[in-house]
Amino acid sequence: MSEPPNHETAGSGKVQRIVGLGAGAAGFAGHERGGTGSASEIATEDMILNIGPQHPATHGVLRLKLTLDGERIVACEPIVGYMHRGVEKLFEVRDYRQIIVLANRHDWLSAFSSELGVVLAVERMLGMEVPVRATWTRMLLAELNRVLNHLMFLGSYPLEIGAITPIFYAFRERETIQEVMEEISGGRMHYMFNRVGGLKEDLPAGWLNRVAAAVTAVRSRLPQIEDLIFGNEIFQARTRGVGVLSAEAIAQYGVSGPIARASGVDFDLRRDDPYLAYDELTASGALTVSTRTAGDCYARFGLLLDQVKVSLDLAEACVDRIAALPQGPINVRLPKILKAPEGHTYAWTENPLGINGYYLVSRGEKTPWRLKLRSASFNNIAVLPTMLNGCVVADMVAILGSMFFVVGDVDK
Amino acid sequence: MSFGKGLLTGLKVTLRNLTRRSVTAHYPDALPELPPRSRGVIALMEENCTVCMLCARECPAWCIYIDSHKETAPPATPGGRERSRNMLDQFDIDFSLCMYCSICVEVCPFDALYWSPEFEYAETDIRNLTHDKSRLQEWMWTVPPPPALDPGALPPKEIATAEKAAARLAAPSDATAAETAAPKDPPTKPAHRAPREDQP
Repeated sequence: MSEPPNHETAGSGKVQRIVGLGAGAAGFAGHERGGTGSASEIATEDMILNIGPQHPATHGVLRLKLTLDGERIVACEPIVGYMHRGVEKLFEVRDYRQIIVLANRHDWLSAFSSELGVVLAVERMLGMEVPVRATWTRMLLAELNRVLNHLMFLGSYPLEIGAITPIFYAFRERETIQEVMEEISGGRMHYMFNRVGGLKEDLPAGWLNRVAAAVTAVRSRLPQIEDLIFGNEIFQARTRGVGVLSAEAIAQYGVSGPIARASGVDFDLRRDDPYLAYDELTASGALTVSTRTAGDCYARFGLLLDQVKVSLDLAEACVDRIAALPQGPINVRLPKILKAPEGHTYAWTENPLGINGYYLVSRGEKTPWRLKLRSASFNNIAVLPTMLNGCVVADMVAILGSMFFVVGDVDK
Repeated sequence: MSFGKGLLTGLKVTLRNLTRRSVTAHYPDALPELPPRSRGVIALMEENCTVCMLCARECPAWCIYIDSHKETAPPATPGGRERSRNMLDQFDIDFSLCMYCSICVEVCPFDALYWSPEFEYAETDIRNLTHDKSRLQEWMWTVPPPPALDPGALPPKEIATAEKAAARLAAPSDATAAETAAPKDPPTKPAHRAPREDQP
């Protein structure tokens, strides 16, 4: 048993072990804790508490094996794999179109961005030039997907720590954007809209106007979510200063995405290793990388809202650009049997939850020899033990929710 | 009082929305309006199917089951060769396995498969989710015409080939007339996509 940090028993001056009665009793003298007043140690045992695999506070089947000393967590072991589907192995027996089907399913909240990584890798292997129309439409859809993903967490995170209302607002906005996504791709979650060499189909007539209208509508209603939850004192009490993640831990565990940027790690692949045409958006000033420095749950949550605002700006910039493009194709005609030439490449994209990478090794077959998937959620979950040690159980829920992961993306 | 200011701001949002109409659609009473590209259920136009098996082979979930036999037709001209053609016996799609990826619809070279936005086919028995060819044919009635495309898009393949063919036909007589005669109206549904009147 270890000593809980920064807690001293009142009156005694020396650090004492808080046992069995929970960290809530940390500030009380012995008699108030039901003891004899001598502050003598009560012999207790650590308790193993399993959070999950089925638990309302976790979304999905993540299991956390917590060792508790009273209310305080002394050890945490995330046990993953309950949803392991062997996706990397399945990639090896599927051609490049069928891989997209699986790629948009490991992280079901950022389906479009996950598809994108696969096709970018294959296109790079083939040395394929993608039509400019496809590039900009891909970027538009990727940003809309990012907004959808962040809105989900903007709604579900308050829900996890007891605020029920925001999710309804978040889902209203999601629905507005999902309508335009469904109109172009036909899917609401698994868009299956990327193809090697471009996109599956061209835009329907008038779709760009509807996207612009949806972006404007979401932007105009975003302050409601902000007013609803960000100023809320109860919410702030639960999240401010809780679960601070240091930049060192981020570097050690390979944490990426909004969680890393909330701790001041200024790294965003859209700017730092631009794919598609993000370099043009950076140059035009539309793409700014938002960061926060606090690194606590509140900063992580707040960063999502910052990113939604930036993504809506980017979507608008893409709409303007696509409307100005001359008539042209949206995809490249592919051969009947598509084979990537022998070789290997690594394509990474800034997915809504962090860096999503595909290491593609081909031996010239129509299926990849190996397609390694580096998913953001896995690394973001790996850092949990260092964050949870010394926390109380109630904060565990707040911290876990603020790590913004999708279990399918952890377990692959 | 500074504490509680945030709570009050939140309550103000709630109050403002309380006076507005609800955005929730009451589903069984109000049906959603789905765009034509919605992937609800796969419809089969049996007449177009040549039993080439591409859809069953390309399906990543292997949820399409096809069976056929060959029939020979007598030669069209006396002394000619006998014609054999594939007759479709079975075409089942197991929607409990289907991943709704659209690959089968995409690979079909003879436009026998279409997406319909219909989604209300939940069953209490999983075996009933396997739709046979008559049930898949029924869905043809619900297939909407494809949406018109953005002005920046290239014309759809069907229209582009038709225009080229028209231009080729008109070229020997008058090359300039062919250009003006080429259809300029926006791409609408190809005629073959509408359900046929004489089919149930």
